[in-house]
Amino acid sequence: MRKQITAKKVFSGLLLLALIFGASYAQKNPKDKFVFGPLNPIKMPKVEKAELPNGLKLLLVEDPEFPTIDIYAMVRTGSVFEPASKIGLAAITGSVMRTGGTKTKTGDQIDKELDTLAATVSTSIGPTSGTISVSVLKEDFDKALGILADILTDPAFPQDKIDLAKVQQKTSVSRRNDNVGGIASREFSKLIYGKDSPYARHTEYASIEAIARQDLVDFYNAYFYPNNTSMAVWGDFKTKDMIVKLAAALGKWKKGKASAEPWPKVVAEDKYTVNFVDKPDVNQSNIMLGHLGGLMNNPDLPALDIMNQILSFERMFKRIRTDEGLAYSVWGAYGAGYIYPGAFSCGAQTKSQSTMYAIEIMLKEIKRIMEQEVSDEELAKAKDGYLNSYVFNFESKSQVLNRMLTYAYYGYPLDFTEKQKAGVEKVTKADVLRVAKKYLKPDKVHILVVGKKADFDKPLSTLGSVNVIDVAIPAPKQK
Amino acid sequence: MISRKFLFSRLSLILAVFVLFSVAAPAQTFDAVKKQVRTHMLSNGMKFIVLERHDAPVAAFHVYADVGSANESYGITGISHILEHMAFKGTTTVGTKDFAAESKVLDELDAAYTEMRQEETRVNPDQAKLAQLKAKFTDLEKKAKDFVINNEYFDMMMREGDAGVNAYTSNDATQYINYLPSNRLEFWMAMTSDRFLNPIFREFFKERDVIQEERRLGVETQPTGKLMEDFMAVAFKAHPYHHEVVGHMSDLQAITRKDVEDYFKKFYSPSNLTVGIVGDVKAAEVFKLAETYFSRVPSGPRPEPVRTKEPEQWGERRVAVSAKSQPFLLIGYHVPDARNKDSRAIEALANILGQGRSSRLYTTLVKDKKIAAMVQAMSGFPSDKFPNLFAVIAMPAAGKTAAECQAAIEEELEKIKKDAVTEDELTKFKRSTIKSALAQLRSNPNMAALLTYADVVLGDYGKAFDQIDEIKALTAEDIKRVANQYLVKTNRTIGEIVTEK
Repeated sequence: MRKQITAKKVFSGLLLLALIFGASYAQKNPKDKFVFGPLNPIKMPKVEKAELPNGLKLLLVEDPEFPTIDIYAMVRTGSVFEPASKIGLAAITGSVMRTGGTKTKTGDQIDKELDTLAATVSTSIGPTSGTISVSVLKEDFDKALGILADILTDPAFPQDKIDLAKVQQKTSVSRRNDNVGGIASREFSKLIYGKDSPYARHTEYASIEAIARQDLVDFYNAYFYPNNTSMAVWGDFKTKDMIVKLAAALGKWKKGKASAEPWPKVVAEDKYTVNFVDKPDVNQSNIMLGHLGGLMNNPDLPALDIMNQILSFERMFKRIRTDEGLAYSVWGAYGAGYIYPGAFSCGAQTKSQSTMYAIEIMLKEIKRIMEQEVSDEELAKAKDGYLNSYVFNFESKSQVLNRMLTYAYYGYPLDFTEKQKAGVEKVTKADVLRVAKKYLKPDKVHILVVGKKADFDKPLSTLGSVNVIDVAIPAPKQK
Repeated sequence: MISRKFLFSRLSLILAVFVLFSVAAPAQTFDAVKKQVRTHMLSNGMKFIVLERHDAPVAAFHVYADVGSANESYGITGISHILEHMAFKGTTTVGTKDFAAESKVLDELDAAYTEMRQEETRVNPDQAKLAQLKAKFTDLEKKAKDFVINNEYFDMMMREGDAGVNAYTSNDATQYINYLPSNRLEFWMAMTSDRFLNPIFREFFKERDVIQEERRLGVETQPTGKLMEDFMAVAFKAHPYHHEVVGHMSDLQAITRKDVEDYFKKFYSPSNLTVGIVGDVKAAEVFKLAETYFSRVPSGPRPEPVRTKEPEQWGERRVAVSAKSQPFLLIGYHVPDARNKDSRAIEALANILGQGRSSRLYTTLVKDKKIAAMVQAMSGFPSDKFPNLFAVIAMPAAGKTAAECQAAIEEELEKIKKDAVTEDELTKFKRSTIKSALAQLRSNPNMAALLTYADVVLGDYGKAFDQIDEIKALTAEDIKRVANQYLVKTNRTIGEIVTEK
């Protein structure tokens, strides 16, 4: 501390000298040593926890400097719980809850009311959570909260909005092969998790057609309970008053059976395969390769984070993009999920003529990081980058609050970020080598190429027997 | 490199006061923020704009170079974007092990490239000689590479915690951004002044390859990317919005390092650069350091403005891209640039017609007729420093056609030309504009971008706030008038993706 202050004084002295004798005295070169003064302290928000009588869990932060109020809530549900014959049900339920309106107001009336207030209220259901969000000027909060309460307790699910959502889902099906990147990531997921896995499977015309209004009602009834929901609220309010307000508005939301349905297991096993999607109308290959990753609660995660940074930037980016000029975007990273394993994946898009060359470099770089320790410089850069940018985890109260909500939802400690930082500080070169050896399996990767094979530099079969994936979209049933 | 979500930053006291009155009296309160902004002009013409915000110990840096693909001519399309990439390749001290020695090899490499290129482009190239020249080029490229410290600029910034090191090129501008812990202010000054004072465009030919991949990724393998390129080429026959920011492939294969150096000299004089810094800094300290570090950049003449103007359109134009893709519709009407007094009314028109779930086009095409999965209207397309387009895009629903969507869109446009918009619609536009202006104020990087944009394109950073007055004053009659003036058949281009079997 004392040292830094001295340095600062010396520096202002130099500045003064510079003003007297001309600017050049005070300029530092980029590679000179910089002594940084202390950062102003991070302001941690004061988070209040509460639970309403109906079991709704609340996290609240007063942020009076801005006269707005925001809500973000997570409901324990997800598309992974929808039946395999009705893929799309969760997404449609999440969207029609809001667009379909309530028994007293149509969805279109709500659209108009909210648009005129410049407010938003939205609901959606993703793979492993349902989300509710509200963003509104403080003066309009009561109106928005009223709408939210009606949507949560009394959604109408009218047929015309269900039909509309189905049209939109079917349109997505019809367009899913228009974009090469979309084909690659969709098929890659199926290779990693298995094509029927709830974590990879996707909608078809038939699965959308099979969904009826009653399915939406049942899905909603199975999961949308206050005791199944955690809600973060922040903005210009007094916590006590806000709890009273929420209790009054959401008190009518009846407690139900708390969902303890276990998350589906990932049953896929890693295996070396070579896969190809024929796309003769493109001049660039989209390449992805990888295998199952792990969970975020893995104590090796800090070391894996550092390894990712080195593998992705120091190795893949610098080699494939900068040295070879082969691709614009390129990466390699071990993915970790909250409740199911992420995926380790490497990828790049390169002109058809350098497809095999790029794959060979990727595999080589994975092997290299498993065979020898990274350099002191690589380790130092990765750790410094992580630790010096750590402050960006605390830019705003809402950012901290939302992170806590997510951790709570998935059963992680609320100070998970802080714990990770402590872990990263201790990572050594030996740790990086150890986790690379333990978690990377280049002999068990699924390799996927979407592209024009006639122009490849070498046949894909050089890598092994090729499984050709047919991405033709099963036609809708004729009526 | 690292993208972060700026959901909600805290605001300074002044901003809070301003927001309290935001709906009732936005004008006075936007004024209050405006008064917090400080500017400083160096004698070489480089301008610094600072907004102090002390909520978190971080600061956003935004260098706005007033040059984009609209400044390019035939033969060098894409060069603004190439230059953006090259600005990450280091300087005489960053990115090199021995600049003196490297410099010689780089000159030899350029000469070898020119020689090779001359032989290659002959009507009847001498193949043996060409092979020899290629070998020489490859050899020199390897020799030059030995001097390079790979991505040292990125490494140095990221190591100091830069959470936003990146750059963007548009039709109008090239923008360089950093987001650092705020005690790295002087470090940024040292790195960035060096970047614009002593740039070395090393690893040029490999980076040109990277950019060709970027073009394949964004345009050549994307049906909508192809449509965009062809659409602009038809809608703008003269003005350089005609070509894509990324440039034509043949230019990307032929532009030289010398071309880029010349372009840099022409367009990167300090008078063409504006810097926005927003965050936990003191304006006085920023200006002092700016004097120290940036006043040494020699001043140069302001580049000549773009000469070519888009002439009046003589009739409806059409363009179709045939692709293995579902149909897509894009309609564009010529409208004036951002400084024109009609621009606010045109923004309102876009909002009321096609932004949000209760907008007219969404209601008709998506909700009622179910012929589109998505429809949207926008102004300032593709950019707005020059006269541009009011555009409507539509994605026909499965089994529906672009023609059905076009007919329904036209019907809505005719209605808005005939009957004025309602008071509710006007209120919706005004409130949503104010709300998004407020959202902008919550984010350091967004504010740094906004202040520099307003200063360069609108002529004064204060316009970022004053525009609220113009929006407040808009009437339904204004919107009706611009609809009738610009949404005219002979003033439009229609583009679509036609599904290839």
